[in-house]
Amino acid sequence: MDYSAGYYPGHGFFHRLDPRVKIALMAILTIIVPLVRHVYIAVAMLLTVVVLWCISGLPLRIMGGYLKMLRGIIAFLFVVQAILHPGEVALIDPLIPPSVPLIGGKGSVTMEGLLFAALITVRLLALALAFFLVTVTTPIHLFTLGLVRLGLPYQLAYTITTAFNLVPTLQAEAKLIMDAQRLRAFSAFEQRNPLARMKAYPLLLTPLVIGAMRRAQLMAVAMESRGFGSEGERTYIEDIAMETKDWVFVGLTTLYCVAVLAVNF
Amino acid sequence: MVAKEFQETPQIVIRDVSYRYPDAEDYALEGLNLTIHKGEFVAILGEHLAGKSTFCQLLNGIIPNFKGGELEGSVLVCGLDTQDVSVAELARKVGIVLQDPEAQLFTTKVINEVAFGPENLGLEREEILRRVRWALKVVGLEGMEDRPPPSLSGGQKQRLAIAAALAMRPEVLVLDEATSQLDPVGTEEVFSVVRRLNREYEVTIIMSTHKSEEVARFADRILVIHQGRLIAQGTPQEIFRDTELLRRAAIRPPQVSELANYLEAHSLRMLEFPITIEQAKRGIEQLFAGV
Repeated sequence: MDYSAGYYPGHGFFHRLDPRVKIALMAILTIIVPLVRHVYIAVAMLLTVVVLWCISGLPLRIMGGYLKMLRGIIAFLFVVQAILHPGEVALIDPLIPPSVPLIGGKGSVTMEGLLFAALITVRLLALALAFFLVTVTTPIHLFTLGLVRLGLPYQLAYTITTAFNLVPTLQAEAKLIMDAQRLRAFSAFEQRNPLARMKAYPLLLTPLVIGAMRRAQLMAVAMESRGFGSEGERTYIEDIAMETKDWVFVGLTTLYCVAVLAVNF
Repeated sequence: MVAKEFQETPQIVIRDVSYRYPDAEDYALEGLNLTIHKGEFVAILGEHLAGKSTFCQLLNGIIPNFKGGELEGSVLVCGLDTQDVSVAELARKVGIVLQDPEAQLFTTKVINEVAFGPENLGLEREEILRRVRWALKVVGLEGMEDRPPPSLSGGQKQRLAIAAALAMRPEVLVLDEATSQLDPVGTEEVFSVVRRLNREYEVTIIMSTHKSEEVARFADRILVIHQGRLIAQGTPQEIFRDTELLRRAAIRPPQVSELANYLEAHSLRMLEFPITIEQAKRGIEQLFAGV
């Protein structure tokens, strides 16, 4: 299996950024995005991320793939938030008639609810796409090195970056299993009926989890056998250094964040 | 095959070793006593689940330091007791190549894969790069430094795993079923690299495998493991002509040895028991000539 499934090689502007800058970007976005209170700011941030994707030199189908992956959770979040969020301006009358005890009168969709749902989903989309942009453009060992240079112990840094890589790793593995099942005429995942698909998930998850645990064991053995966990300071064949472009990016990002917060509050 | 001279000092000494995996009732290995000398090429044969992998992981301390379980007796490798030193420390002495070509490669570039070990040792950058160049040259992967490991062929992946172990400059290289997922071309690639390491660099080779044809060509000594016990050891000739042993341990000998065993059962005995095609050819010619 491809343990580097998340990384896509390239020489674009985002690829060449110092990993520390990218880690800082992820940290800042994690703090700022949830603070955004207006839909138009969230949309502007999403557009900024999309623009960054477009100028990153990556094929756009990669972003398309991630969007496809996210559409389910986005749709779910939108519907749930729209229904549950309280508001004054009703657009759709309560789904549950008032005569029903306890939950009667609930489930109306209001203007405020729609706006809030839009805010939540656009924020999530912007944050997720930004994270994916970073992981796709950063080879895992540079990520680790970045965290180490930021002061983390190597083993902790390695664990964190491996965890980051878990999603693409599991995705690749899941695709493999589904392909194998499809080859044996198992078609539950192609059915329209979501219930039928739900019922098929144990058949995917069981081999996925067992396989992942087996591979993790093997990988741990392989790593230990090559001196992972040696005492003393570890060295690296690659080095990272902050260059002018990195500082320019840091400056621009800071300005951008300040502007966002200024408009927001 | 010309018999090799081995140094007198034993490199691996296993004394009265029995081992049980955590929560297991039965011993995975039992009553093991064995000495291996520097520069030997030792093959381990035995059925699936006979204990070959357990034996391999015993040699670099993965058992018991990483896997836990209950180990009796002592395993000395290059003078170090595997129960006293960490796996990371033993990694400088013993390199290991595993069966699954993918799970043991976990970086994004060939060069990082090979550098991973020396980096863990905290070596100077220049020294690491020297070792990486050397290791990639030995296994014939020079020029592929920037390739992602998943894009390599099966044989190349296993050669990369060997290079990654070699960069630690081990004195012993353990290969645990390292060719069982490879096609004949990949198998040949791996065996020729391993033989070169053994002959030119005097690396001790310990290899568990099912491929008796290759074992016959390269190994100095065969260990037969059956149900966790070392039931026989000897030269390929000795092992492959012992039909009773082969049956008991479910080992398939090289086809030419099988033929010779069949002929012997019908009172046709070759002068020299064959384990390679050349020997068989000679033996059959002699049989026809009535020698």
